[in-house]
Amino acid sequence: MEDGRERQSFEELAMPLLDSLYRYARWLTRNPTEAEDLVQEAYLKGLRGFGGFNPGSNIKAWMFRILRNTFLTSRSGLRAVPPEPLDEEIADGSTPESHFLQRADADALRRAIEELPVEFREVLLLSDVEEMSYKEIAEALSIPIGTVTSRLMRARQKVRKAFSGRK
Amino acid sequence: MIDQHWTAEDVERFADGEASPDERHLRECVRCANAVLAAAHMKAAIRGAMDVGPAPASLRARLTQRRSTFAPWWIAAAAVLAAIVVLVPFLRRNPALPELVDMHVTIVGSANPVDVISTDRHTVKPWFEGRVPFAVPVPDLASTPFRLIGGRVVYWQGNQAAYLLIGKAAHRISLFVFRLENAPKNLGPSPPAVSTLSWQDDGLLFVAVADVPSGDLVALRDAFTRQRSEVSP
Repeated sequence: MEDGRERQSFEELAMPLLDSLYRYARWLTRNPTEAEDLVQEAYLKGLRGFGGFNPGSNIKAWMFRILRNTFLTSRSGLRAVPPEPLDEEIADGSTPESHFLQRADADALRRAIEELPVEFREVLLLSDVEEMSYKEIAEALSIPIGTVTSRLMRARQKVRKAFSGRK
Repeated sequence: MIDQHWTAEDVERFADGEASPDERHLRECVRCANAVLAAAHMKAAIRGAMDVGPAPASLRARLTQRRSTFAPWWIAAAAVLAAIVVLVPFLRRNPALPELVDMHVTIVGSANPVDVISTDRHTVKPWFEGRVPFAVPVPDLASTPFRLIGGRVVYWQGNQAAYLLIGKAAHRISLFVFRLENAPKNLGPSPPAVSTLSWQDDGLLFVAVADVPSGDLVALRDAFTRQRSEVSP
């Protein structure tokens, strides 16, 4: 339509992202049923807005942003927005990561991440699980790259602290 | 630069694959190399902890089931058109009204029922010029309970006919306008559950189909015939 190349359909581009979007929805909502509804709504919104998607840009960041905006305007999203008060400082805040690793078992780590405010959970997911670059994360979250960096550092710091505090 | 220790941020940026200071420092410095290794391990541990497995099959099914709603409207429109073309030979011998009622239901139920959307007869009437081989009378409905919604071209036995979509409150009235020589010869009885009314005027056959009382269609016919006697070309 716009040029000689066949434009890929919304489904061709967006369906391969389903597992990633579902994982993101799970970590935003912390509830499997809500996560499914969120993903479904995000796909519908994506489809409706697909005309405005620039084929050269990043579909993953685009879909993540739609899912996130959908979440933030949902009831549980609005509850999640006011950031939880900062954890009280833990005495041994500077636990070396080697110790952390020795103790790391996935279940305890998962619980520690679950207790983080949503803006920290999501940067961990986007960077460590989705392996998105800071630039892509910035695009998905509509924040500057510098904020991605500092939020990610703080998120990991919080995980380390929460985890060492748990022990 | 190479001799300087990396900051915590340098270490994490490096583990994240982002721009970072000169890597040669890591070969010289055990402390920083360990920090990088630990950061990479932590990333891997978080990745493992945050994995929730693939999306449920039920969700995938729900999304792919919606495929029908993913289809652009014009695919549906093309399907309707193809069905009409295929049906044309069969229509020849059969009473026309049931088919017109089916077209009415199909068009009114469509997401894009009309090709020209306008309440202004001065927009709709010229739109038909060159699209159907006759002048389509579109009266001024302002003083009536009816309102013009728009129009489109329909085909009857391979010939163009005009279709006007007219609203009355929440109801939709289909008005088919045929040139007499290409009009359906045998309308047949009106099917149940809808009202139909047909009349001839100035070489044209009008067929109105709607789920309104038949008295409303008479009023519509009067609006059309009155208008023509008032505004002569």
